[in-house]
Amino acid sequence: MDRREYIEFILDHYNNPRNHGAIDDPDILVNGGNPGCGDVVTMYVKVDDDNRVTDVKFEGRGCTISMAGASLVTELVKGKTLKEIEEMPYTPLIDQMGEDVVKSRLRCATLGMDTLKGGAREYPSRKATGQKLIQPIVLAHTLSTD
Amino acid sequence: MSEYAHPEVLVETEWVAQHLNDKDIRIVESDEDILLYEVGHVPGAVKIDWHVDLQNTIVRDYIDRKNFQMLLSSRGIANDTTVVFYGDKNNWWACYAFWVFKLFGHEKCVVMNGGRQKWIAENRPLAKDQSTYAHTNYVAKERDDTKIRAFRDQVMKHVTGGNPLVDVRSPQEYSGELLHMPGYPQEGALRGGHIPGAKNIPWAKAAREDGTFKSAEELKELYQSQGITPDKDVIAYCRIGERSSHTWFVLQYLLGYPKVRNYDGSWTEWGNLVGAPIEK
Repeated sequence: MDRREYIEFILDHYNNPRNHGAIDDPDILVNGGNPGCGDVVTMYVKVDDDNRVTDVKFEGRGCTISMAGASLVTELVKGKTLKEIEEMPYTPLIDQMGEDVVKSRLRCATLGMDTLKGGAREYPSRKATGQKLIQPIVLAHTLSTD
Repeated sequence: MSEYAHPEVLVETEWVAQHLNDKDIRIVESDEDILLYEVGHVPGAVKIDWHVDLQNTIVRDYIDRKNFQMLLSSRGIANDTTVVFYGDKNNWWACYAFWVFKLFGHEKCVVMNGGRQKWIAENRPLAKDQSTYAHTNYVAKERDDTKIRAFRDQVMKHVTGGNPLVDVRSPQEYSGELLHMPGYPQEGALRGGHIPGAKNIPWAKAAREDGTFKSAEELKELYQSQGITPDKDVIAYCRIGERSSHTWFVLQYLLGYPKVRNYDGSWTEWGNLVGAPIEK
């Protein structure tokens, strides 16, 4: 794909986000981002008894690349185990978005994936204590003044 | 607008709409969200990405004279072109690019009041294709870092001398409540707080809901009530110098303060700097 096609791919994810919205009663709800930068994302995950993802959705707001990256990662992780998500390389995500297009904003591109990886990493210890991983949404109040 | 000290540096969206085909004008979009230009831009506008186009890739610094000349030549900007800056985030990056152009002495720089947000809110046309122009042979002056840019050692002397600083970050960053967010430790600092003596006047207080600048009277009241007066040498800072470019523009051009510098090292430098005092 050339640069314009990568951009069209990103804009398609931005304008038509996949798996957008909330999941009722999720097993994992994690927030990530940088309100100072304007990018915030919430990832919702349902897993089965083997910690395999059965559903994943996201909500958030921020720049084109961060929201497209969050949308894309929901497609990449469905059916994977949390362990597999933790160990997922960034390369497939970056390659699909076009390294040349997103290389100066890698943190934006990987915001959804990083947030999901954080949830995948923390969930097993929570599950062991019989809890879900539900983090409160924090810090969004800074958006208005930043 | 005539009440501003330098009303000539601000143009309205309607003025821009009337000058889209003016060969003496080059419209420049500078955004935080780097794909907004591709989503749609003011017809004829060229893109300048603060991260890719204005930064030195090896040293934390701006591009040198040679690269600035190449950049402007590639965008079809000549020495006598009037450059109209606009962008997202209330023109943060537009003011930042404006400030960098001033470091190199480009004379005719103006900002489109209200930026991208206002242009779109008014349902004005957007183009998707990249605008290209014949290369020019732009000749820049050497970058002058002495008048409108502040470095950490100068800030240290400024603090010691009891001179005014404006911290334009959010109150949470100023108080030290926020260091950085999960996933973004690179943009944080070891310590939270502010440079001693700095007044917290968030950049957004200078802007209206529609992204335009507040009136001269409102701006005077905003800064002078905090002791930031035109008789003083003022330094503004934020985290990396983009939000403080917005405040620098307000103080220097809209209010006509004669000595205002932007400390682009800002909190990402000061908050990590060995030996630098802070307040919370």
